[in-house]
Amino acid sequence: MSSVNIAQFHKVFFEESLEGLDAMESALLALDEGGDAELVHSIFRAAHSIKGGSATFGFPDMAALTHEAESLLDQVRDGRRAIDKGIIELMLRTVDCLRGMFDRAQGGQPLANADSDGLKLELAAAAGNAIPAAAAKAAAKPAASGGWSIEFRPHAGMLAGGNDPLRLLRELAALGQLVVEARLDRVPTLDALDPTECHLAWHLELTGAVTREAIAAVFEWVEDECDLSIEPIVAAAPPPAPAVEAVAAPAGAGAAAGTPRAAAASSNDAGSVRVGIDKIDGLIDLVGELVITQAMLDQFREDFDPSRLAMLQQGLAQLARHTRSLQESVMGIRMLPIGSVFNRFPRLVRDLSQKLGKQVKLDLVGEHTELDKTVLEKIGDPLVHLVRNAIDHGLETPDKRRAAGKGDVGTLRLEAFHRGGSIVVEIVDDGAGLNRDAIINKALQKGLIKSGEGISDEEVGELIFQPGFSTAAVTTDLSGRGVGMDVVRRNVSDLGGTVSIKSRPGNGTTFTITLPLTLAIIDGLRSAVGDECYIVPLVSIVESVQLPPDAVRSVTGGGELFRFRGEYLPIVRLHQQFGCANARQKIEDGLVIVVESDGSQVGLFVDELIGQQQAVVKSLEANYRRVEGISGATILADGSVALIIDVAGLIRLQSRRKAA
Amino acid sequence: MGSKSKGGASKGEVRVGMPADFRIAEVTDVHRQLGEALDASQILLDGGAVDRIDTAALQMLVVFQREAQKRGNTVNWAGASAPLHDAASQLGLAQILALPAKQPA
Repeated sequence: MSSVNIAQFHKVFFEESLEGLDAMESALLALDEGGDAELVHSIFRAAHSIKGGSATFGFPDMAALTHEAESLLDQVRDGRRAIDKGIIELMLRTVDCLRGMFDRAQGGQPLANADSDGLKLELAAAAGNAIPAAAAKAAAKPAASGGWSIEFRPHAGMLAGGNDPLRLLRELAALGQLVVEARLDRVPTLDALDPTECHLAWHLELTGAVTREAIAAVFEWVEDECDLSIEPIVAAAPPPAPAVEAVAAPAGAGAAAGTPRAAAASSNDAGSVRVGIDKIDGLIDLVGELVITQAMLDQFREDFDPSRLAMLQQGLAQLARHTRSLQESVMGIRMLPIGSVFNRFPRLVRDLSQKLGKQVKLDLVGEHTELDKTVLEKIGDPLVHLVRNAIDHGLETPDKRRAAGKGDVGTLRLEAFHRGGSIVVEIVDDGAGLNRDAIINKALQKGLIKSGEGISDEEVGELIFQPGFSTAAVTTDLSGRGVGMDVVRRNVSDLGGTVSIKSRPGNGTTFTITLPLTLAIIDGLRSAVGDECYIVPLVSIVESVQLPPDAVRSVTGGGELFRFRGEYLPIVRLHQQFGCANARQKIEDGLVIVVESDGSQVGLFVDELIGQQQAVVKSLEANYRRVEGISGATILADGSVALIIDVAGLIRLQSRRKAA
Repeated sequence: MGSKSKGGASKGEVRVGMPADFRIAEVTDVHRQLGEALDASQILLDGGAVDRIDTAALQMLVVFQREAQKRGNTVNWAGASAPLHDAASQLGLAQILALPAKQPA
C-alpha cells in the first residue's frame, strides 16, 4: 500500500466540491424555471465528481448519498423519467444535506445523520431501487467495529467480461481492514480448466467505518455477474447510542441552512485563493521587468558619473512604475468576482418567496465585478439581510400589487459596479417603499425622535438604521431575528464602506452599499498637524479650502461652523481631537479638508497638506488598541508612523458631541 | 514470450516461465506448458518477470498447484515478482501457491 497522506488534498476537494454544489444548485434553480437538458448533464457531472471524490478521499457516507442522487439523475438524463418539481426539491435538499456533510467533514465529525439517512432512502425510493428496510437500518450506523461479512462468488463468465475480482478486492481493501479467504471448492482439474472462466469464490470480512452502500458501490458493475451477499457481523455490534446523540442536534438545526455552515467554516484556517494563470503570468512578467530595472540601476553603483544623472532618474522612475504595477497585480490576486456571493441569492429568493406567497423575479447584474476576498466574505451576510428585508417588507403580495396597479411579479435587482475607487452594490426592489408613517410612529414609540413634524424622507430612511428598530407588525422568522439594519450598517462600515437608502413611495426602495476596492492599501492625502502626520483617505475628500478668519462662527456649546457651498459644516480641529502639540491654532494659518461619509460632511482643520500617497494599512487594533476616529496606521518612507483618519468614525464622534 | 520449457516428455526438472503481461489474454500458452509439466517430477515455476497479472492467471496457478500436490510432484519457485506476490495475497491465494519469500522486484 502506498503511504501518500491523502488528507493533504482534502481542502482542495472540499473547495471544489462546494463549488460543484453551488453549480448544482444554480443549475437546479435554472431547471426549475424551465431550462434545457444540458442543465441535467451539468448537475449529473457535479454529482458524479463529488461522488468520485468523496469515495477516493474516504467519505463513504457522502459517496453513498451522492450515489443515490446520481442514480436518480441518471434516469432523468436517459429520459427514463421526466424532471418535475418533486425531483428538483429533492435534489436541492440533497445539495443542502451535502453542504452539511462537508461542514462536518471539515470539523472532523461523523458525516451521516438522521437527515442524510432519511434523504438517502427518499432518493433511493424515488429512483425506484428502494434499499430494503433492514439493510437501510444497518446502513444508518456505520457498523464501526462489527464490520461486514461478504460472500462473493463470481459467475464463470465474469473474467471474460473484463471484470477482475482482483480489482474489486483491492477496492474493498481500500475501504477498511480486509480479510480474504479464497474458496476452492469448485475448482476443476488442470485438464478440465478453461482458464478464462472463473471457478474461485471468496469469503471476505471487512472491518472499519464502512457502510453497506460503500461496499455495494464496489460491486456495482458486477451485480449481474456474481452471487453476492453482504451481512453485518452481528456479534460485536456496539450500542449505537453515541452516534444517535451526536446526530440529533444538527438534524434539528439543519432546516436553517447557512448559519451553521458559516460558523464551521470560519473556525477553520485562513483559507486559500485560486488564481487565474493569466494573473500569475502577468506577475512573472512584471517581476522580470523589475529585475531588468534593478540591473540597470546596478550599473550606476559601479561607476557613477554626474553626466548620467538623467539616466539614473529615468531608471528610478521606471522602478517606481514597475513597483506600482506589481503592487496592483498582487492586489488583483485577492480580487474575486462578486458572482460567488450573488450565486446564493436565487435559492434564497426562491425559498423565501414560496414561503411568503410572493412572486419575485431576481435580476443579477454585474456578477463579474471584482472585490477583495476579505470584503467579499464579509459582505455576504449584510446582503442576505437586505435581500430578506426587501422580500419580506419591501415587495408586496400579488393582490396588493394588483391593487396598486402593478404586475403580480415583483422585481428584485442586485447590481454591482465600479464607481470611482469603490465598488457599489445596489439592492433595488419595486415594492411599496418605506412606510413613512409606520417608521415615524415606531421611532416616536422608541423615543428615537421627539416629534414627527418636519422630518425629511432622508431622515426617515436613516431611522431604520438606528439600533433596535424594527417596524414589522409581526416579526417573522425571516427578518425579525433580532438583527436589525443597524447591524448591517455596522458590518459594512467595518469594511470601510457605507450604506444608504432611497425610498420611492409606492415604487420601491434602493439600498446602496459602497465598498472600498481593497482593505490592504488606501490612497490617502498626507497632512501635517503639529509634529504629527495623518493620512486622510482620498475617497472621502470633497475638497480642501483655506478659510479667512471671519468665515468661522463659534456656536454655543463650543463647536465651530463654517459656510461651505451654501451649507454650514462643523469643523473638527485634528490637533484638539488627537492632542497634538505645536499645531497651528489660527484658522487662516492652516487648511480645512472637507470630508464626507454616510452623506454628512465635516471640515478637518490641519496645518498643511504634504502630498498624496498610497498607504499600506496596518491594523492599530492588532498592534495596539482601537482608537476612535482612527482606522489604522501606516509606515512612512522615513520609517515614522502615520495614523489613518477614520472619517466615518470622526463624523459619528462629532454628531454625538453635537447631540450631547 | 518469455516462456521456455526444458526436458520435454522425459522425467526430470521442468521449468515454466511466465510472461511479463500474465493476464487472461495470455494464459493459454502457459496453460499448455503447465499441463505438460505435470509429467515431470520436479517443476520450477518462474514468475520473476511478471509485471501484470490477473485473477485468471492466478486461478490457473492455483489449479496447477493443487493438481501437482495430488500427484506428488515437487513444485518450486525460481522467482516471484512483487506484482505476483501482491495479487496473490490480495486474493488470499499466496499460501496455496506456496510462494517464496518476497524479493525486491
